[in-house]
Amino acid sequence: MKGIGVSAGIGIGKILLVEEHSVEYTPKQVEDAVAEKSRFRNSVEQFCNNTRVQAEALRKSAGDKEAEIMLGHISIVNDPFLLGEVEKLIDAGQCAESSFDSMCEMFISIFSAAEDDLTKQRATDVRDVRTGVLSILLGIKEVKLSDVPEGTVICVKELTPSMIAEIKKENIAGILTETGSTTSHSAILARVMEIPAVMSVPDIMTSAENGSVVILDGSKGTVIISPDEAQIADYTEKREKLLREIRELQKYRGKPTVSADGTEYELVCNIGKPDDAAKALEFDGEGVGLFRTEFLFMDKTSVPSEDEQFAEYKKAAMILGSRPLIIRTLDIGGDKDIPYLGLAKEENPFMGFRAIRYCLKNRDLFRIQLRAILRASAFGNISIMFPLITCVEEVREGKALVEQLKAELTEQGIEFDRNIKVGIMTETAAAGIIADLLARESDFFSIGTNDLTGYTMAADRGNSDVSYLYSALQPAVLRMIRSIITAARNNNIPVGMCGEAAADPLMIPLLISFGLTEFSVSAPSILRVRKCISDWTKEKADEITDKVMSLATESEVREYLSSVIVA
Amino acid sequence: MVSKVLTVPNAQGFHMRPASVFAGAMGKYPCNVFINFNGNKYNAKSTLNLIAACMKCGSEIELVCDGDQEEAALAEGAKMIEDGFGE
Repeated sequence: MKGIGVSAGIGIGKILLVEEHSVEYTPKQVEDAVAEKSRFRNSVEQFCNNTRVQAEALRKSAGDKEAEIMLGHISIVNDPFLLGEVEKLIDAGQCAESSFDSMCEMFISIFSAAEDDLTKQRATDVRDVRTGVLSILLGIKEVKLSDVPEGTVICVKELTPSMIAEIKKENIAGILTETGSTTSHSAILARVMEIPAVMSVPDIMTSAENGSVVILDGSKGTVIISPDEAQIADYTEKREKLLREIRELQKYRGKPTVSADGTEYELVCNIGKPDDAAKALEFDGEGVGLFRTEFLFMDKTSVPSEDEQFAEYKKAAMILGSRPLIIRTLDIGGDKDIPYLGLAKEENPFMGFRAIRYCLKNRDLFRIQLRAILRASAFGNISIMFPLITCVEEVREGKALVEQLKAELTEQGIEFDRNIKVGIMTETAAAGIIADLLARESDFFSIGTNDLTGYTMAADRGNSDVSYLYSALQPAVLRMIRSIITAARNNNIPVGMCGEAAADPLMIPLLISFGLTEFSVSAPSILRVRKCISDWTKEKADEITDKVMSLATESEVREYLSSVIVA
Repeated sequence: MVSKVLTVPNAQGFHMRPASVFAGAMGKYPCNVFINFNGNKYNAKSTLNLIAACMKCGSEIELVCDGDQEEAALAEGAKMIEDGFGE
């Protein structure tokens, strides 16, 4: 059987079918509305107490954020409108069960019909609240997931947050559900708790039996019920291998990033929101090499104010403390549109009015962002980075504006980091070719390999007719990267890479040989890249790189690297 | 009765957290508080009603307070919305 793999890992265990407790009841008329209302109020109170206990359990196993969501159930059940309407129905002679049920049903259907996912997901919360309160009213004993034996695979129609709150993760080998997808709240919880999970498995509740052995692969979405011995052996081996790899990688947690011959590198994360800074640290990143600021401008109706931006930058800076935080100024245009900025439709947006070009022509907007970043620099270790630089004038103009704003802030007596570094993204062919000139004007470089590959090869990765050209291993792109790194080294400025290539095991020895100083990758790749770097000495990396740079085609490069690097 | 027309400024609109914080704040006032949006009237002391209204970023809404302490309720409610619920 096949579902959607939502939480990686292989689970092998015995199925426990968790039937949604039947909260069926026979609606009846009540005479004593006062007594019925008090019965209802007591149940609500008990529900709140249970929920508080569950939320605290969840706080330990999955963190504060999840606990807060759980506590949200208390505010749902105490909703004055909901309670008021329920009491009206009870006054009209309905029993507490049917009064509460019908009001919940109303909100479930409204939320389910909503167009956005966020509201749709609230229907799950209301369902959870309904089941909880009705169970108490009906005196039904809830299924105790906290008591299940080790090696249990929970199989349920819909996994609710309150079920997850009960789980002891060391006893749960996996989770299977009939509904849900990667973005469901329960999927997020499964990932946080590192329990393998497959969701939206069709008819799993009817095709599975209690106690049957089951295998699930949370990356591929595969589910095998009552597997044969060969399958069990096969998956047991896969599982061990995965666990070994994970354990192996954990050895690199909290360690510096060093090559086999002792050179230290900076290993940082790419983030898109201030909260991601916490995630970067959670995955053991040493800071942030690229903070994309576009999110602040998206889903808005006007340019966010200086104070608003300041608050977001400051938040990320405070999370990171003394660790580096490189903030990239607005990189709109190309495929990233922001309606209220009124960007004209262009024939060729990637060659057009975007990023630094737009910002230098729209000084008011640029000033707001730079002032906000400067003010935030008083609270951490911030650097400024300009995107899409193609000529020296852009760097000079950008830096002049930063100096002007620094003077303005000084005059106003506002704190900022006087030694703030200003660097550039080297991600165009032009920047690669004049890297020696740009290096004199910049405090650091960061190579954006995604754009650099596209602009160097003049190939759109999204166009399947030309995407074969789009590869960072193309000799042209490798030469571009080498010349950028060499120019930076000759001018004694740090040079990082923040594109996908920085995490590619085939690329890492080349980058070590060229002399890259900083790797900026997605948070989940941190430990893997740290391990990869630790495998190489400069001597060995040079040897491979010399050979690579003598090869004439991308396929030769790839073939050679794949043969010498066992990923 | 006092009222004010406002635009929802925060990216996520009245989702769970803003809705419950807002409903909680309005719940402290004795007056009736409701929001007119898209031709419907929603009880602004009810988180569930606010979520059901699906007010998004950029939605134009009218906050209406009627009864004791209506001025104070309107002032606090309008400020919360204008500040984007601190998001």
